[in-house]
Amino acid sequence: MKGTEVIFEDVSKFYGEVLGVNKVTLHIPPGITSLVGPNGSGKTTLMNLMTGLIHPGRGSITVLGLSPRDPEQLMRVTGYATQFDSAPRWATGMEFVSTGLTLYGYSPTEARDRAWQALEQVGLTEAAGRKVAGYSKGMRQRVRLAQAIAHDPQVLVLDEPLNGLDPLVRAETISLFRRYAAEGRHVILSSHVLQEVDLISDQVILIANGMIVAEGEIRGVRDEMSEHPSQFIIRCRDASRIASLLFCEDHVTEIKMNDDRLGLLVLTRNREEFSRALTRIALAGHVIDGVIPSDESVDALYEYLIGGGRA
Amino acid sequence: MTITKVQVQQAWTIARIEMRRAFLSKRGLWVYLLALFPAVAFFGHGLQMKFMEERWSRNGLTQARVVDSFTKGEKVDEILKRAPNPSFDHEWTNRREDEGDRDDKDRKTQPEEPQRRRAISYYDGQRVIDLRFTNGVLVEKHVRFFRDPTDDRRVFAVIFQFFYLRLAIFFGCLGIFMNLFRGEMLDKTLHFWFLTPVRREVLLAGKYLAGLVASTVIFGGGALLGYAAMLWPNTGVDAQAFIAAAGWSHAFWYAAAATLGCLGYGSVFLAAGLLLKNPIIPAAVILLWESINNFLPAALQKLSVLYYLQSLCPESALIDEQQPLLRLLLAPAAPASKSLAVLGLVLVTALVLWAASRAVTRIEINYSTE
Repeated sequence: MKGTEVIFEDVSKFYGEVLGVNKVTLHIPPGITSLVGPNGSGKTTLMNLMTGLIHPGRGSITVLGLSPRDPEQLMRVTGYATQFDSAPRWATGMEFVSTGLTLYGYSPTEARDRAWQALEQVGLTEAAGRKVAGYSKGMRQRVRLAQAIAHDPQVLVLDEPLNGLDPLVRAETISLFRRYAAEGRHVILSSHVLQEVDLISDQVILIANGMIVAEGEIRGVRDEMSEHPSQFIIRCRDASRIASLLFCEDHVTEIKMNDDRLGLLVLTRNREEFSRALTRIALAGHVIDGVIPSDESVDALYEYLIGGGRA
Repeated sequence: MTITKVQVQQAWTIARIEMRRAFLSKRGLWVYLLALFPAVAFFGHGLQMKFMEERWSRNGLTQARVVDSFTKGEKVDEILKRAPNPSFDHEWTNRREDEGDRDDKDRKTQPEEPQRRRAISYYDGQRVIDLRFTNGVLVEKHVRFFRDPTDDRRVFAVIFQFFYLRLAIFFGCLGIFMNLFRGEMLDKTLHFWFLTPVRREVLLAGKYLAGLVASTVIFGGGALLGYAAMLWPNTGVDAQAFIAAAGWSHAFWYAAAATLGCLGYGSVFLAAGLLLKNPIIPAAVILLWESINNFLPAALQKLSVLYYLQSLCPESALIDEQQPLLRLLLAPAAPASKSLAVLGLVLVTALVLWAASRAVTRIEINYSTE
C-alpha cells in the first residue's frame, strides 16, 4: 500500500518557535481528501511538506513511496497549485504553463499542446495569450490549477482551489477533481468552504493548532468521536411521550421539543443505542414519521471538534 | 552524483529562461550603465580628440624638426618665417604695475607699462607646441603630446582595475546574481521552480549559468567596447604597431579578467543570495575586504578575488608617483602567473558553488518571513 498512499509518519514542523504541525501521522489513500481547519491551523504547512517546499524538523513523509526531498521524481507524479498569488511578470498564460512543461522533457510543441489542453480544462484558452499579471484573481487561480494538472499528475495538491471561482467554473473544477479521483488518483485540497468539502470529499482531515483532530470518511469520523453527541430530528405525533421514553436511555444527553409538539431534537452519545431505542419505541406502537440526522455536515462536526465540544 | 543528459538539458532550459530576467530586468538596468561607463567615457574622450585634432590641423601640420628648432629669445617674425601657418595665433596687449612701486601704498600707482603679448601654437601631428611671446620675443615654450597611446593605455588600466573590477563588476554581479534567488523570493515566484522535476543543484547550475552568460556579455562586452573606444582615436604609426603587436592580446586578457570576475563574484553573490536575506551586509564585507586588499600583507592579498583578477590584467595600474603617502601604504603583492590566477579563480568558484549547492537543498519556501 505504501506506493499508493501519501504518508506522514510522526511529522513535526516548527517555524522557529512557531508551531506549524506537530506529530502528524497520516495515511492518505487515493480519492478526494480535504484538509479542513481554521487559518493558521497547519493545512498549507502539510501541503508544503508533502511537496518539498518545506522540510520537516522531525518525522518522514512519502508520496506514493517517493521522498519530497527528491523533486526530480516526486514532481513527475505530483502537481501543486499553491495559494501564493504570484506569477512571473513576463509570462502569458500559455508561457506560464508550457515553460514548466519543458522541464519535464516535453518538446516545445508537446509542451504547448499539453498547456493548451490544461488551459482548456480550466476554461482559460481565450486568455492564454495574455500576461498572467493582468489576470483577475479567479483567472490566476485557474492558471495555477492548469499548471498543476498540465503534466497529468497522480497526486494533485490544491491549496484553497475553489477560492475566487465563479459558480460555473467552480462546478467544472469540482467535476475535474471527481474525474481525477475516479481514475484512482489523489486529489488533496484545502478549503474553508465546508459545504463544498462536505459534498466533494471522499475523506476529510480535520486539523487544528497544527494537530490532526480527526481523519477518515465524514461518517467514519463522526463514529470515531463517540463523545460527540449526534443530533437527530424526530418527526412524530406523540412527542411528549417519546421524549419521556428517550430520557430513560443513558446515551441520550439532551432533548428539545418543537413548538408545534410534533418533533424532537435529540442529542445522543451512541448512535447504535439510539437506533435500537427508536426501534423499541416504534415496536411499542408509537408513531415515528421520520428520523433525520441534523448535524452530519462538516460544519457541525468541525465546530464541535475545533470548538471543544460546543455542538 | 552523476550528471545525466536530462539534467544538462534542464539546466540549459533554466538558463535560457533565466537569461531574460538577467538581461532585461528593469531592476538591473543600472548594470548596463556601470558596464558601459568606460566605453562611453573613452568614446567621449576620443570624439573630443578628433574634434580638437581637426581644429589643430585646420591650417596644416608643421614639421616636427621645425617646431623643435624654436628656442627662447627668438623673435616672433623669425619663427613665423620658418613656420608661417600656426594652428593658433592670438595677440593682445596688457599693462602691469612697476614691481618696485607695489609696496609704496602712499604713492599713487604708476601708469602701467604696456606689453605686447602673443600666443602661438603649432601642431606636428602628435604634439602641440605652445609658444608665448612678450614684446615679440619668445619667453615660454610648452610641448605637450596631443595623443599619447601609452598614457591612454595606462589610464585605461587604472579605470579597469580601480573602477571596472572593484566597483562595476562587483556591484553588477551583486545585482545580477543575488537577484536570481533572492529576487524570486521577493517576487514570491521561487516555488514554481521548486515544483518542477528538477534537482535543486540543477536549478542552481541553470541559474548560475544564466547569470554568468548575462554578466559576461555585459561586462566582457563592456570591457572590449571600452578598450576599442580607447584605441579608436589613436591612428598613429605607434598605435597601429601596438595594436598589431599586443593589442589583441591585451583585449583578450581584459575580457578574460572581466569574465573571470563575473565567474568569481557571481558565485559569491549567488551563494550570499541563498544564505542571507539582506545583500547589503555581504556586499559591504566583501567590498571592504577587496578594497583594503592592496594594504594587506602579501599572503592575505592572495585571499581575494581581486588579487587574481589584477594578475590577469595586461598592464599594471601604477599609482602616481606624486602620491608618496599612498605609495608608502600600498605594498602590492607580486602578481600570480596568469595560469595560476585562472586556476585559483576557478577553484574558488567551484568551492563556493559547492557550498551554494548544499545551501539550496535546504532552502525552504516561506515568503512570509521575507
